[in-house]
Amino acid sequence: MPGAPSTRRRIGLALACAALGLATACGGAEAGSGVVVPDAQLTIAMQFSPDAGYAVDTDDAFVVSQLGVSESLVASGADGIARPSLATAWTQTDPRTWRFTLRPGVRFQDGTPLNPAAVVKALTWVAGVSAPPRAVKGIGLTAVADGADAVKVSTTAPDPILPLRLSSANTAILAPAAYASNPPRIQDTGTGPMRVTATNGTQSATLARFDGYWGGRPQLAGVTANYVSDPAARALSLRAGDVDIAQELPESAALEFTESNGYVNQTVAAPRTDSLMLNQSAPPFRDVRVRQAITKAIDRTALGEQALAGSAVPASELFGPAVAWGSQEPPPAPDVEGAKALLAQAGFGPQNPLRVDLGTYANRAELPTLATAVQGMLRAVGVEATIQVADYDAKEPDLLAGRYQMYLLSRSYLLDVPDAGATLSSDYSCQGSYNINRYCSPAFDALIAPLGATSDPAARQEIFTRAAARLDADAVGVPLVHTQANGVGSKVTGYTVDPLAKTLVTAGLAKTG
Amino acid sequence: MSAVLARRLLALPAVLFLASVLIFLLPRAAGVDTARAVLRSRLGEAEPDPDVLAAIRLEFGLDASLAEQYLLWLSHAVVGDLGNSFVTRTPVSGLLFPALGVSLVLTAAALVLAAVAGIPAGVWSARRPGGRLDRAVTATSVLGVATPEFVLGTVLVLVFAVVLPLLPATGWGSVAQAVLPVITLAAFPAALAAQLTRAETVDALARPHVVVARSKGIAERAVLWRHGGRLALTSVASLSGLFFGGLLGGAVVVEVVFAVPGLGGLLYDSVVGQDLPVVQSALLVIVAAAGVASIAAEGLQLALDPVSRSAAV
Amino acid sequence: MSTLADRATPTWRSARVAVAAAVVVLVVLAVLPLDAITTDLSGRFAGPSLAHPLGTDQLGRDVLARLAAGTRLSVGFTLVALAICTGLGTLLGVLAAWAGRAAGQAFQRLIDVLVSVPAIVVGLVVVAASEGPPGLDTLLLAVVLTGWTPFARLTYQLTVRERAREYVEGAVAVGAGPLRIAFRHVLPNLLRPLTAHACLRFSNVLLSLAGLSFLGLGVQPPTPEWGAMLDEGRQYMFAAPQLVLLPAAAIVGTALLVTVLGRLVERRWNSA
Repeated sequence: MPGAPSTRRRIGLALACAALGLATACGGAEAGSGVVVPDAQLTIAMQFSPDAGYAVDTDDAFVVSQLGVSESLVASGADGIARPSLATAWTQTDPRTWRFTLRPGVRFQDGTPLNPAAVVKALTWVAGVSAPPRAVKGIGLTAVADGADAVKVSTTAPDPILPLRLSSANTAILAPAAYASNPPRIQDTGTGPMRVTATNGTQSATLARFDGYWGGRPQLAGVTANYVSDPAARALSLRAGDVDIAQELPESAALEFTESNGYVNQTVAAPRTDSLMLNQSAPPFRDVRVRQAITKAIDRTALGEQALAGSAVPASELFGPAVAWGSQEPPPAPDVEGAKALLAQAGFGPQNPLRVDLGTYANRAELPTLATAVQGMLRAVGVEATIQVADYDAKEPDLLAGRYQMYLLSRSYLLDVPDAGATLSSDYSCQGSYNINRYCSPAFDALIAPLGATSDPAARQEIFTRAAARLDADAVGVPLVHTQANGVGSKVTGYTVDPLAKTLVTAGLAKTG
Repeated sequence: MSAVLARRLLALPAVLFLASVLIFLLPRAAGVDTARAVLRSRLGEAEPDPDVLAAIRLEFGLDASLAEQYLLWLSHAVVGDLGNSFVTRTPVSGLLFPALGVSLVLTAAALVLAAVAGIPAGVWSARRPGGRLDRAVTATSVLGVATPEFVLGTVLVLVFAVVLPLLPATGWGSVAQAVLPVITLAAFPAALAAQLTRAETVDALARPHVVVARSKGIAERAVLWRHGGRLALTSVASLSGLFFGGLLGGAVVVEVVFAVPGLGGLLYDSVVGQDLPVVQSALLVIVAAAGVASIAAEGLQLALDPVSRSAAV
Repeated sequence: MSTLADRATPTWRSARVAVAAAVVVLVVLAVLPLDAITTDLSGRFAGPSLAHPLGTDQLGRDVLARLAAGTRLSVGFTLVALAICTGLGTLLGVLAAWAGRAAGQAFQRLIDVLVSVPAIVVGLVVVAASEGPPGLDTLLLAVVLTGWTPFARLTYQLTVRERAREYVEGAVAVGAGPLRIAFRHVLPNLLRPLTAHACLRFSNVLLSLAGLSFLGLGVQPPTPEWGAMLDEGRQYMFAAPQLVLLPAAAIVGTALLVTVLGRLVERRWNSA
């Protein structure tokens, strides 16, 4: 923390603000020259702290990856196409095996070379942890060296998307020395443009440029990552000039950081849907007319734009604008009369109103808000919903066993990799392990069956689109909104917000004057 | 006097042992599925696969009997090995002691501020009971007692970080970051200290020998501090033991509101994340600190004011 | 702390009118049939109007109605919790006082420790130890677990003192059983100090409830509770600071009111 100068500036600002009487209109970076400052230090207010001690087999892998420390064999974006990273090429040698050719000349930050043995060690470790990450869970992944520059990766069943799986942040390749401890050490064991010089618990981390980076010399000399879990506090520190980049600002604060006053302000749709789950293993939602009535009653546009103040995109189906195959269409307008008519057909009306329990949890701040707004919309069509906010972990067994009526759930539809096959099969197939809606349709299962043998991204994505349409037609649940990811940079270049939350600090990221 | 203290000191290990059993048993006996919580803390959206849950139970020895688990934990704890956190898989002591240090700094700073602000305010307002200064101090202290940390902290953030962006709203490490949390934590003890000091000083000034001293023309200020202040210090000392325990509680709120990486914040996070080894150790430290502080305060009180020796039960 | 009330007479006298007025306001608020649930997404963050005297919150709900519902919840909960604490504490205190010296010592040490463990920490333990979600039941448990101790300590000390008095020794000599003596001779004398103490503890319990709810360990949204409302309001601090200030004022105002009320009652008793 700098001392006097920044304090003085803040006091000056405060006086100006007080004079104007408009606190939120104040602050802001002066428009800069736009010229890259060489060897600069950058400070970032990060949203998620490394609560699991930077363990790469946990969600902390996203932090390690965003900081530019670790890399995987493969890279991928929201388009669902695998691209070279630490591996330059890959081929399927038999239905169960893929061969990855490693990039030559890559060194880990501790100076050891990236070779087949190192890759085998990294992949074998992550496949063998007690709680394997979703990208590699249950596929029986094994890796063996194949010659001096390649690795063969096998699975127990044919896997058409193995390269995409190995683009997960959890499958990062760290130097062999990292795995001497559990969780693996991330100091000087990555291959990325930044190496960790110090960590301070879940408060902060400092990083310095890795001069031996294979992708060219990084522009920044160093990075300080402050983990600030409170969105308002992130906005405040950006406004005060303490940080150059802040992730996930509250909507009301994000509006003040505009291009015209020198900020890079980006909002992108995230691959996550807040959906109303409807338990169709029991009445009343066994009746498709009741499910359709609920769908018609809810004004999803109002949920996204008013209840959540534009911080989420109204959803028209399971997949949203974050992915290439997602729907870009606005949701249909609500139809209160139509909903009432359907409810009447199903036997519910003013004399016999439908009463349901609407459960949700508070870990994600928007859910209780959404639940309350949905409750109001349902009341307008004569459905009385009682909201129960409770810990998700305690409720999960009930959800999986079909002991609930209506539940508001936030769920990523990509299981760490930009491919929806796993979600469709676990959440919506008859045998799905996470089929909370208790939906079972042989037609749907037949529709997604070809995913088990299709590698071509375009063909897969065509199936995803048809599957989502099918779920919509069957009113399986009500996708309400897709969440968004946002980030604001002040006088930076090369900064993009990654909807998949894997990249942030890159070799090209730089400060401008 | 020393007998009282010795008895209490001797009782402390027994109390700690009892507390450790309770702290250990409660979450486990209640049937909380720790493995599920551990899984969620690692992978936010993992499905609860029975095989994975079984592997996690095996990893942390959660399938052993409760007695076995407790004895294992105790046998390690007495030699200073507090085990590994379920979430970070690193030793608990590496998380606990830095956090304890932060909390001690925060709490000590708040206590000092409370004493520096509260005691003089109380003494001065006792000079003219019912006077304007007295009324102002009394009203402020009553307000201070009625304002909980989470309200004061939130309002201070609103005023000094949002409306007038003078101070950082969260974090720990610089003096600027410490200002709001310390003020928030100090408000309640300062108010109590002011009230106590005022009451004690008013009583002291009414005692015959003080009245005589005053009538003799000894400087007002000297009388006030000699007689009033000294007595007041005694009761403030006795309360500071309570404060210390209470401050640790207040520190939970303050550390959560201001994202201070202290013991309270650690305890809160580990409770929410079901990180049982951290919960147990943090609670034990808090109980021990509260116990030691209350004994120390009693000793201080006895040392300062011999009269209360006979009153000590 | 009785001396406090005795000395600053003018302040306390003028407080009486304010207290009476505030009590009336609270009672009226608590009985008003206002709608605290209906949302109106087109009327979010509205300013004060005739329909919504204190404006609306992030979901267009009436803030006054939610504060009023919070009054019922907070005051009702606190009364229930205090009743349990007083009953339990008195019972245990009396029993310990009659149980002999060793038991009495152990009891005192237990209370020493429990008293020094803050309610928030106990709340955390209760939440950690309970299977279900936090709610009013876990809150009640958290408050009662340590809340009984001051009453028990007071009862214990007073009972030991009363027991040494001549009339009690006389009753023992006549052959009265311990329980009979406790209820006949000791408890009636405890009534007044216990009531005074309950008044003192009221704001303490009220603030614990709000504090635990604020931390997400108590009442869950959308239940209107002051601490939970304050926590929800923090998210909108930029746009609508009143959503922080109003519940804050309700919490502090009520705690203040009860404190002042308690002292007025104490003064009345002391002067009587």
